[in-house]
Amino acid sequence: MSDNIPDQDIICDIQNVCTEFGDNIVHHHLNLKVKRGDITALVGRSGCGKTTLLRHIIGLTKPKSGNVLLFGENLHAMERVAQRRQMNRFGVLFQQGALFSALSVFDNIAFPLRELKQLDESVIYQLVMHKLALVELDPRDADLLPAEISGGMVKRVALARALALEPELLVLDEPTAGLDPDRSHNFIDLVKQLKKSLGLTVLFVTHDMDTLASLAERVAVLEDRHIIADCTLRELAEIDHPFVINFFQSIRSRLERL
Amino acid sequence: MTAASFHVTQDGQGRRHVQLLGQWSLRAPANDFGKLKKSLHPFFVDTFTKWDLLEVEQLDAAGASTLLSGWGNKLDSNVSLKPEHTELFNTLMSLTRPPTRKTELDWLSPFNTLGEGVLHLWQHFTKFIHLLILLLLEIAYLFSRPQDFPWREFSANVYKSGVNALPVTALLGFMIGVVMGYLMSKQLHTFGADVYIVNILGLSIIRELGPVLMAVLIAGRSGSAMTAQIGVMRVTDEIDALTTMGISRILRVVLPKVLGLTFVAPLLVLWTSGWTLAGGAFASNLELGISYHFFFNYLPLAVQPINLTLSLIKGLMFGFVVALVACHFGLRIKPNTESLSNSTTSSVVTAISGVILVNAGFAILTRGIGV
Repeated sequence: MSDNIPDQDIICDIQNVCTEFGDNIVHHHLNLKVKRGDITALVGRSGCGKTTLLRHIIGLTKPKSGNVLLFGENLHAMERVAQRRQMNRFGVLFQQGALFSALSVFDNIAFPLRELKQLDESVIYQLVMHKLALVELDPRDADLLPAEISGGMVKRVALARALALEPELLVLDEPTAGLDPDRSHNFIDLVKQLKKSLGLTVLFVTHDMDTLASLAERVAVLEDRHIIADCTLRELAEIDHPFVINFFQSIRSRLERL
Repeated sequence: MTAASFHVTQDGQGRRHVQLLGQWSLRAPANDFGKLKKSLHPFFVDTFTKWDLLEVEQLDAAGASTLLSGWGNKLDSNVSLKPEHTELFNTLMSLTRPPTRKTELDWLSPFNTLGEGVLHLWQHFTKFIHLLILLLLEIAYLFSRPQDFPWREFSANVYKSGVNALPVTALLGFMIGVVMGYLMSKQLHTFGADVYIVNILGLSIIRELGPVLMAVLIAGRSGSAMTAQIGVMRVTDEIDALTTMGISRILRVVLPKVLGLTFVAPLLVLWTSGWTLAGGAFASNLELGISYHFFFNYLPLAVQPINLTLSLIKGLMFGFVVALVACHFGLRIKPNTESLSNSTTSSVVTAISGVILVNAGFAILTRGIGV
């Protein structure tokens, strides 16, 4: 980990985070920095606390001790209006999409825009159509309810909602879980393309090796309650740790194919 | 980060130049596009205004769309753009326009709404009858295969809707008993008819109030829970999972709820009526000095025992109605939160209305008995 990155280039800074659930220690003095413009994958065994760490980062939970700085500030130490502004600077794609089931696709994407209370309806309409076009959905699908669309579409609508405010940081929890290989491939291309056009920083959790190999630029390995590696995928080869060695073997062939 | 701002100059011919500066994006926390649009309004309406976007640091879709809506959704020669921004504007302009919805006053709409309402009601009614018949068929099936009876679910329902309801029904029953006893004692005392407090409380509570109070409480407590539970089971595909295992959803989900509540409701009626009478006895003891011993000794003489049978039959019917209505609405829930809340509300309202309707019918049928 290099410590000489200028402060404004660190989007997310996790310092000495400890988390415990009862007797189960999940994170023990965990440190991680996410640099602006990177696509970072967070990997580790099932149940090692990846999603918990993600929830700390987006401010849903608070670690027992330690600091989570997002854009240089601690979300939990801010006053309400500033906190809300700060939360508009990142978008989250939940594993199941977490679309509001009572609202149509259009209203789901328009929701964060309407909450700003700055834009009028014609602008909101145009922006929603723009986001739908970004994730390659048909404008005719806008009136459907989340229950009426397929799993792949739910993910894309959820992505469109996460992107509605054109955030700096995009947090994805298992972005390709539940998608067929074709769709997940398209989804990865979509995220990469959006990253380029919108200048995003992406942080994601995945178990899918194909997603990891084709999307991640950097990888942070969570093992033994802290980050044991934070480097590019190819640099993993040089790390001597049983989990990393195992892990790298399973992605090596995929890296070579790229 | 610099917030979005603009700078206005005027050239020799009186034309205004608006130069946009800073970050025209939602990322800059200080931006308020509502205010910006308002302050730019005088320049938007002036078609001769020149727009200079060359100094803009960052432009996102929200900023571009706000400007575009001010310019009447077109770019003309008055606007000078950075090449990388042109593409964004072109994309935005190529998007579909909102459909222009005409809102015409339709004189037939009240009739349409009424007709739809009637059809909707009719649909509910037929589906309800359908469910009832399916339930009866399952019961008939159980006679041929008694080992399939879902005892575990049945007893779980008896426990959840019966045993767990004991404290709340006792407390509310007792309090209502106290209030009624107190008011009636006052009235009867003015006529010197103190003793009749037993008759009046006994008859009204055992015959009417106990069963109805119990039904209202379990409709709110167990009925809503049943509807929500079945609804969530539908949303999470649990009902389909049951069906694919070859297990009838009526047999496993609906039947234990209906039979459980039907079984436990008469017992709850006894319990509620008992506590309401206790409340009444307590109030009449305080107000009129009638001893508990006298109150409960005189009760069987004042109220014919047949009333107790009637109240138990009512309990059976009310439990059946509440559970069946709850299951009916639960099975109609669509997989979204709005439908879940609507159906739960409808379930409770319909169950209580059904109970009162059944009670009225029953009162007419049994008007000659026990009074």
